[in-house]
Amino acid sequence: MSRLKKLVIVAGLGALAAGALEAFEWGSPDLAVLGAALVASELFELRPTGRAPLPVSFAVAVVLVPASTPTQYALVVGIGYLFAVAIRTEPAGLWDRLLLLAERIAEGYVIRAAYRLVVDATDNAEQRALVLGALAAAAIAPVVVADLVTAVRERRVAPLRSRGADLALVTSAMLMAVGYAGVDGRGRPGLWGPLLFCIPLLAAWYSFELLASTRRGFRQTVSALGAAPELGGLVREGHVERVAELAVALGSELEMSNADLEQLETAALLHHLGAVCLDEPAPGEVHDPIEVARSGAMMLRASPALAPAGDIVAAEPSLHRPPGTAAVLPAALEGQILKVASAFDELTEGQDEHAAWAVEALYTGPGYVYDGRVLGALERVLTRRGLLTPED
Amino acid sequence: MVAIVAFGRESEFLGPVLVAAAGSLYLPQIRNQEWAKVAFNLSNFGLSTLAAAAVHTSLPFDTADSVGLELLAAIPTALTYSTINSALLMPAVAMVTERPVREVAREMWLGDLQILPFAMLGGLLGRLYVDLGAWVVPLFVAPILIARQAFASYLALREAQEATLSTLIRALESKDQYTADHVERVARFAHLVGIELGLRATKLERLRCSSLMHDIGKLIVPNQILNKPGRLTEAEFERMRDHERVSCELLRQIDFLAPVVPSLEAEGRRHEAPNEAPIETHIVAVADAFDAMTSTRVYRRALPQDVAFAELRDKSGTQFEGSCVEALIRVIERRGEVYGAGHETELADFAVPPPVVGTGSAGLGDLEVEERTVRP
Repeated sequence: MSRLKKLVIVAGLGALAAGALEAFEWGSPDLAVLGAALVASELFELRPTGRAPLPVSFAVAVVLVPASTPTQYALVVGIGYLFAVAIRTEPAGLWDRLLLLAERIAEGYVIRAAYRLVVDATDNAEQRALVLGALAAAAIAPVVVADLVTAVRERRVAPLRSRGADLALVTSAMLMAVGYAGVDGRGRPGLWGPLLFCIPLLAAWYSFELLASTRRGFRQTVSALGAAPELGGLVREGHVERVAELAVALGSELEMSNADLEQLETAALLHHLGAVCLDEPAPGEVHDPIEVARSGAMMLRASPALAPAGDIVAAEPSLHRPPGTAAVLPAALEGQILKVASAFDELTEGQDEHAAWAVEALYTGPGYVYDGRVLGALERVLTRRGLLTPED
Repeated sequence: MVAIVAFGRESEFLGPVLVAAAGSLYLPQIRNQEWAKVAFNLSNFGLSTLAAAAVHTSLPFDTADSVGLELLAAIPTALTYSTINSALLMPAVAMVTERPVREVAREMWLGDLQILPFAMLGGLLGRLYVDLGAWVVPLFVAPILIARQAFASYLALREAQEATLSTLIRALESKDQYTADHVERVARFAHLVGIELGLRATKLERLRCSSLMHDIGKLIVPNQILNKPGRLTEAEFERMRDHERVSCELLRQIDFLAPVVPSLEAEGRRHEAPNEAPIETHIVAVADAFDAMTSTRVYRRALPQDVAFAELRDKSGTQFEGSCVEALIRVIERRGEVYGAGHETELADFAVPPPVVGTGSAGLGDLEVEERTVRP
């Protein structure tokens, strides 16, 4: 079922529920409308890079808090999320769906709890700053819970720099809530408020959606291009993918920015592309790595958007100094990372059990001296993955 | 609009005009010192805003009473603004671009309508500003800035995606100039056919990517084989043929292209009726075949265009999808372009005489089975 169809069904059910609330005088029909909005907005997720997606439904739940009694809130959020999780396309398994439902209910609960906490902490609940603070607390709370869930599940916390989506969600939620209920009894536009003030949030959603799908297409295109030398039998199977994965892990460990990580990943995936442009070497011989890097870098540098990746590829084979020389290398960290990741994969041949030996070889190997920062990061990453015991 | 409602309450016209003036200062124009344009924009925005503010204050009802009225008031205000703005702007644009006013107006009126939701949004924000104070503004601006930033990264990534495609073309170029040129011509034919068949923008984009990448498998064919002047040995020929399989395999890794990758089984059944593949697959197949037939290779000369057309029509409904064949022929004839024997872009020495038509030697795929039977 397409998202449009789902939206139409949700809108219809919402209208029915609103009619029922009105007819039997159970409560304000606005509650049903907001409930339908909660379900509908669960189908939209902000998908920023480097962290789990955030549903737009958090914002609707924040609007619901000041607009409902505790029982009403529990009912609307409970039924709404149950319905939403049922019509979502992901996750696939029943167990995963139940977990998601539990997560959403918990997030819905902390939204109200955070709001009450701030409101109850002071006597006068009608001050402008207080209402604002309470709404801010309510809007931030579910994001924190969602982060905790990700931290438990994936054992990592999203870095501060990828918090744009969170900020958009929190500010829009506050604005939508203020737009609905007003402050001090002034400025109560009603449903018009959330309806119009969700436009910036939807604009953000649309941009993140485009970004995510383009990023996937780009990543896959690069990786298809990078896989060509492999299918031609010029590179060991899976080498570039493994190197790219390790290089990005090392780059994050060394706190590189998202944009730099992207160029590093592209460079890693394409660092053997140059091989396809050279004449096939005679049987038993291999390509000169410097030639491969040079021809690969030349192709990448021709486009401004991939020029940084080209520089990394060009630097990879040349960045070494003979052991015993003290000169410090120029700080082309990305090139050093790619060099270490590639050499590590050459040594282990993709076998995890060779990891400890490979690290030892990188430290003592006669050929090159590798960058100490990168080797340190490699040890930390491998230790975290359980491939290296700390005393190694 | 925010300004009109916010300042309008105090019935002050100067405020909105000032804001509009600030908003109309378009930085690139100032940097390029196009003072005439800056002055025009200033007076245009100023006048339009002034008129809009006048309409807003003279409405027969007091918008402070209800939100509905405020939103209602946004409509005549926005219409006044955009009418005066366009009335001043359209003749000016027509003058600068030297086109008839009517044509410019037709292009611009839709853009003018888009102002309505923004005007309503602005009206509501202005109201909140009056009621609640200045802190609503950052709440409103933050998500918009973040959306803009995400959109900017999206554009940058699209550029990177483009760059990946050109990297592929350059890689092909460094191996075999013919393949690189062929890929770009196929992409152009496919695009023309796509437009002729009225494909939507997303499909055209997918068509472009899949046509530019359809020969990606050539990357694994060693240079020595690709550029070998004479006949290929059996082993070399096998490696050459392998590029089709590799192309499919690589393209299938890309989610948004996977649906349009021709399946190898379908390739095997190419003499039966066209399969259920999406239209993009058929377009690329036709464009590929047409370009292959009308270019000259070391081993055979290009076919004349009308022969290539006849060959496409002959296989239309079996190997090729009929509507794609007709669209390609229509678009090339309409543009008055001629390809094939006698019209090659680059001339080569013809070691091989033109092939006999209809034996399948028409370059469907760069090397057809027939080539093998001829080989001594």
